[in-house]
Amino acid sequence: MFQWETGNKTRRERSTLSNEKFMVRFLSYRVSFTLIVFVVLLVFFGIFSSGHSFFGIANLTALAKLAPDLGIVSLGVGMLMIAGEFDLSVASTIPLSSFVFTKLLGWGTPLALILVITLLTGAIIGMSNGLLVVKTKLPSFIITLGTMLFWRGIVYAASRMSPIGIMSWIEPDAWMMKVFVGFIGGMVPVQFVWFLFFFAVLGVVVQLHRFGNWIYVTGDNQIAARAMGIDTDMVKTVCYVIVGVLCSFMGMIQNLRIESFAANQGVGFELRAIASAVVGGTSLMGGIGSIPGIFLGTLTIQIIDNGLILMGAPAFGINAFIGGAIIIFAVLNVTVARVTGK
Amino acid sequence: MSLYKPGLLRPGFPLLIRDFLVYNVLSENVHYGRNAYGYQLCVEKKMSDKADAKEGTSTEKTPLAQVPLVRMVDIDKWFGKVNALRGINFTVNHGEIVGLVGDNGAGKSTLIKILSGFHPADRGEIYFEGKKVNISNPKLAKNLGIETVYQEQALAPHISIARNVFMGREPTKFLGFMDRGMMDSESMGAITKLGLRIKDPEAMVEMLSGGQRQGVAIARVMYFKAKLVVLDEPTIALSVKESQQVLDFMQQLKAEGISVIFITHNIFHAFQVAERFFILARGEMLIDVRKEDTTIDHLIELIVSGRSEIKS
Repeated sequence: MFQWETGNKTRRERSTLSNEKFMVRFLSYRVSFTLIVFVVLLVFFGIFSSGHSFFGIANLTALAKLAPDLGIVSLGVGMLMIAGEFDLSVASTIPLSSFVFTKLLGWGTPLALILVITLLTGAIIGMSNGLLVVKTKLPSFIITLGTMLFWRGIVYAASRMSPIGIMSWIEPDAWMMKVFVGFIGGMVPVQFVWFLFFFAVLGVVVQLHRFGNWIYVTGDNQIAARAMGIDTDMVKTVCYVIVGVLCSFMGMIQNLRIESFAANQGVGFELRAIASAVVGGTSLMGGIGSIPGIFLGTLTIQIIDNGLILMGAPAFGINAFIGGAIIIFAVLNVTVARVTGK
Repeated sequence: MSLYKPGLLRPGFPLLIRDFLVYNVLSENVHYGRNAYGYQLCVEKKMSDKADAKEGTSTEKTPLAQVPLVRMVDIDKWFGKVNALRGINFTVNHGEIVGLVGDNGAGKSTLIKILSGFHPADRGEIYFEGKKVNISNPKLAKNLGIETVYQEQALAPHISIARNVFMGREPTKFLGFMDRGMMDSESMGAITKLGLRIKDPEAMVEMLSGGQRQGVAIARVMYFKAKLVVLDEPTIALSVKESQQVLDFMQQLKAEGISVIFITHNIFHAFQVAERFFILARGEMLIDVRKEDTTIDHLIELIVSGRSEIKS
């Protein structure tokens, strides 16, 4: 049905040049479809959630507080997917950074130093992932599956899997709490502002900076990129480092939000981040995707989650819907590529 | 040039007579090198040797047109126990289209990969504009002005034409942010100059035909002032009309004063545009001949038989 509509539309639009150009552009930015679905879902949940609670202040605040968790990680993972690689180890970088953060707090390290070391943890894990992938030339899916299990094992062993509360070591009104988990105007969770900040920075870099072009080319045709003198190994490694840093940042703010380290932080994030990217129009083969798309993709996944619960869907069955959504979007992406390709 | 007949000086030739020829007749014009099959003689053109002799002292004074753009001397390449190239002498002059022809596995790509820095040669020397060069990686080849266009490897399909043209060499405004206006206008300019008509620099390469893609890749090397463009099988998967378009691009490059090495195993395509043919078989040179000194039938015969002794 949907395929027929789009196909028909482009064919009809072909008669006028500017319209065709616009349509082709519009469709070639796969964001368009995610945007349409996103808006449709917003309206749908707004109308059908009991008492329109989806748009209630309480729910929106909760969404804005929770969405950055997956969102920040997805931005990085999606960018890496554009470069043609996966990172499953995000699921373990998160708790590991959180653990390091907690331990440093416990030792009374200055907060600024804690921030630096925590982010450095992610950078080092990212760097090691990147180097392993580019040096061994093995599929990153396998390599990072290995590092995911490795680091999670380390975290479990080091923490003995028990949660560690942090509130005895940090004042509730310390600058770190305000900067990372406070509220702006008592309404907007500051995490969401950070999410928007990373979205803006990565968006500008990936879409407009020359490094962004290198990311696309590396994912789309690595041989061509090499032939044109682009150091694709460097590009990939830098992307892995960015993903690592984003994960530690997220592990840290999640830690501050739940006020403790939890060994199961980040479980399942590796695949949900990939799902967000796919829903946002990112290709699993690399070279296709966009940061705005990934941004919308991760929000879409999370409002499906949130909206269905508000509508009374069984909480433990939510994955069924998300799974369905991923398949629909994957099919949609291929269809769009076929229609616009002709 | 009369002695420049490969058959005469092949390894099978009686040794005494050969040595006599080497030391008494050809003397300076001969390289005498060893490979796995014994001795092999490599006859050089007199003119290029002269240029060589002057090297370092008066290269500047020699008009560039007299010095070949590229001269590969006595190139040997081994892959394990396979002797991929045996004593190859390959020359490209300024503004010349050379057809590098041979069957699969003849050593065409190996020779070009040595020239473009992907493989090191096991023996031999490369001169670029009369100066000896050591092309140990692709970047050095690029810096010299040697650009290789591989059909499937040249472009990223899901990225705009403008971004493809400037891939790896993006013009920037500040802090490394791309000057997209300039990229659009300049890439369109280069493509138009080549005689290709594309309206939208933001269109994805995926939407172009095979011939147009070649055009974009060729426009790119032209824009970045290549001196020598190597086209590796540019017509292999193209329709008749598109192939013709690509052949026209080559003429355009020549008109710009850019030399072209046209690698193909389609002798009919090569014969349309090339001024000289260099034919390889099993790692050895069969013939290096100007277009006016040969016929297409003779070349076909050579390629099919894989021997150079055939009398035409």
